[in-house]
Amino acid sequence: MKKRILSSLLAMTMVVASITGCGAAAEQAPAADTTAQTETKTEEAAPADNTQAAAETTETASDEPVTLKWALWDVSSTVYYQPLIDAYTAAHPNVTIEMVDLGSTDYSTVLGTQLSGAGSDFDVVTIKDVPGYVSLVNKGVLEPLNDRIAADGVDLSLYNGVTDQVTIDGSLYELPFRSDIWVLFYNKDIFDKAGVDYPTNDMTWEEYDKLARSVTDTTPGAEVYGSHYHTWRSTIQLDGILDGKHTIVDGNYDFTKPYYEMVLAQQKDGVCMDYATLKTQGLHYSAAFAQGNVATMNMGSWFIATLIQKIKDGEYTDCTNWGIVKYPHADGVEAGSTLSTITALSIPTSAPNKDAAWDFVKFVSGAEGAEVMASTGNIPAMTNKTIVDIIASMDGFPTDDASKEALITSHTYLEMPANDKSSEIETVLNEQHDLIMNEEVSVDDAIAAMNEGVQAVLAQ
Amino acid sequence: MAAGITAMEKNMKRRQRKRNLVAYSFIAPNFIGFAVFTLGPIVLALLMSFAEWDGSNAMKFVGLDNFVQIFSDDRFTSALKNTIVYSIFTVPITLIMALGLAILLNQKIKGTNFFRTVAFFPYVASLVAVAAVWNMLFTPAKGGIVNQLLMNVFHAQPLKWAASSSTVMLTIIMFSVWKNMGYYMVIYLAGLQGISEDLYEAASLDGANAWQKFRHITVPQLKPTTFFVTIMLTINCFKVYDIVYMLAGGSNGVVNKSAIVLVYYIYEEAFRNWKLGRASASALVLFAIVLAVTLIQFKGEKNYAND
Repeated sequence: MKKRILSSLLAMTMVVASITGCGAAAEQAPAADTTAQTETKTEEAAPADNTQAAAETTETASDEPVTLKWALWDVSSTVYYQPLIDAYTAAHPNVTIEMVDLGSTDYSTVLGTQLSGAGSDFDVVTIKDVPGYVSLVNKGVLEPLNDRIAADGVDLSLYNGVTDQVTIDGSLYELPFRSDIWVLFYNKDIFDKAGVDYPTNDMTWEEYDKLARSVTDTTPGAEVYGSHYHTWRSTIQLDGILDGKHTIVDGNYDFTKPYYEMVLAQQKDGVCMDYATLKTQGLHYSAAFAQGNVATMNMGSWFIATLIQKIKDGEYTDCTNWGIVKYPHADGVEAGSTLSTITALSIPTSAPNKDAAWDFVKFVSGAEGAEVMASTGNIPAMTNKTIVDIIASMDGFPTDDASKEALITSHTYLEMPANDKSSEIETVLNEQHDLIMNEEVSVDDAIAAMNEGVQAVLAQ
Repeated sequence: MAAGITAMEKNMKRRQRKRNLVAYSFIAPNFIGFAVFTLGPIVLALLMSFAEWDGSNAMKFVGLDNFVQIFSDDRFTSALKNTIVYSIFTVPITLIMALGLAILLNQKIKGTNFFRTVAFFPYVASLVAVAAVWNMLFTPAKGGIVNQLLMNVFHAQPLKWAASSSTVMLTIIMFSVWKNMGYYMVIYLAGLQGISEDLYEAASLDGANAWQKFRHITVPQLKPTTFFVTIMLTINCFKVYDIVYMLAGGSNGVVNKSAIVLVYYIYEEAFRNWKLGRASASALVLFAIVLAVTLIQFKGEKNYAND
């Protein structure tokens, strides 16, 4: 039992450390900044211009200074938090937004722990992924947004159906502001050097496999990898759900077999890096791609902004000539079918300023927020032609038409649909993914174990 | 008369009570801390192990269900097995290595302090940093330093170390022994220095060789130290978590059945799956095991001391 306490103490220390340690520096600077801004503005407005003050009153309902606490991760490396806040506070000078960085590794765990306690005073929380969302909804710590959505006439159809996939028992508890799709990144220099045509926006998995193999070079010391799969199971397992006939919470994973076989064969032939090495070295996918010897890599569109930024900063020098194309697809499936993840905002039931928080959530997830997101190179949840144009015209975005075209999707499937048991299912799937990729069990045995394990979880 | 006695008794009682109060007030600061941060959670954990709770919705009492569930969960049984295997190997190996090092570094040789520092360094170094270095040395790639050594010097097959389910426990045990032996070495050094030189001198006069001196003087004289080290090591082994997470967690931070240990299982159930009841039940099992092992050791120590 001593261990039980030790472990919870450990968890508590982690929570404290991630707030004070990682958060403090990044969080205080901008917060202080906005406070200063707000103060000067209210001083100006109060004595001089009454009409302006009146106009603002109708817009924000109240001129009372409000401070919203926003839970998020990676403040220092994420480019859109501050622009979003700036855009919002410019229109609402009475609002100050304080960012609290909970760290990215265990974000959902830490957030869950914080919201379960009585002392939490977050007004807005970012929801990192669907399993984290479901677990918070189950805990009953998120405010249902349906009434507010109906009252303010928010048009959910602009989110391309994604909000339906996260509606639980008729209630929606989050509003997405960012949506990432999976695409195929490639390094043009490698293709030029090998004299091979670039990948296209309409490739089947067989064509992709052939292409990756055609640029591979296994000479020791001068390896070129035709493909790269990060250690996440989603890089391989989820390729199978793009036909729309299967989901990852089905309880039957026979459909993953061809993808595992393709990647295992590539691993054996040195087309991609060895999983075991990637896992123990903890090699980040961005570092792998930046080495300049990876020809193609399937990854989410969140990597676009990082890539542009790091190349601009001069940090990445070996992959400056890059492009993206649509995700490869199975035979008979429409090109542009891809995986997606959403990042959303929610209001905790314990939030001190729910109305002000809702106004902020609405702004960030709405059209104005979407334009801010796009201007930083990130794909907002609410997309249309203008948004795609904004992203593609960004300085540093590949100039070829195919890369721009790649951002347009035909069907998107959430990496993990809303399901009560998602975290237990993940545990089973991760375990078998690891065993397959380490070549410790055959694909068939592992799939049988996945089927059995997940069905047991579902039956609970 | 009778009234006088009762008055005196009352007086004494009052004085006694006052004395008690003074004593309690001295204990209070420590006890309040203990009650709030240790006793409270222990009692809560005990309660939770018989309940189903996710941390925010209402608690539901389910009797022994949690225990039935965890014992039919193969992640729990693997965790139990791995923890026991880890302890069975780590405790004696660390003990022997620490004793060996202590004896070596207790000699009057040049640079003793330097070598003592070298042996103690892994213990004070940050776990995250040394685990990263360790993973680099023991990388599963053929080009890794240790694998190169295996192939070129020992002509053996390269191993996948922490990446493979068959060698992951071996890697963890080796790492743990290397990291912690320095600490126990220091304890043994203190013990060794407490042994009177006279004993060795007398034995030398009687013609005892080095092994006999070690066997009949050093080992019995170090018995209390060994007892302490064994208990501390066993308890620390059962609560291992960080080493496993660092070496076997990989880039997605998921520990597999081949390497999962009890404390990690408790963490996973509690804070990933939000099943606080099952987590508490496993914590109770862990507590019971540590208690049993420690009691056995205490008993052994008593018999030991008698001979």
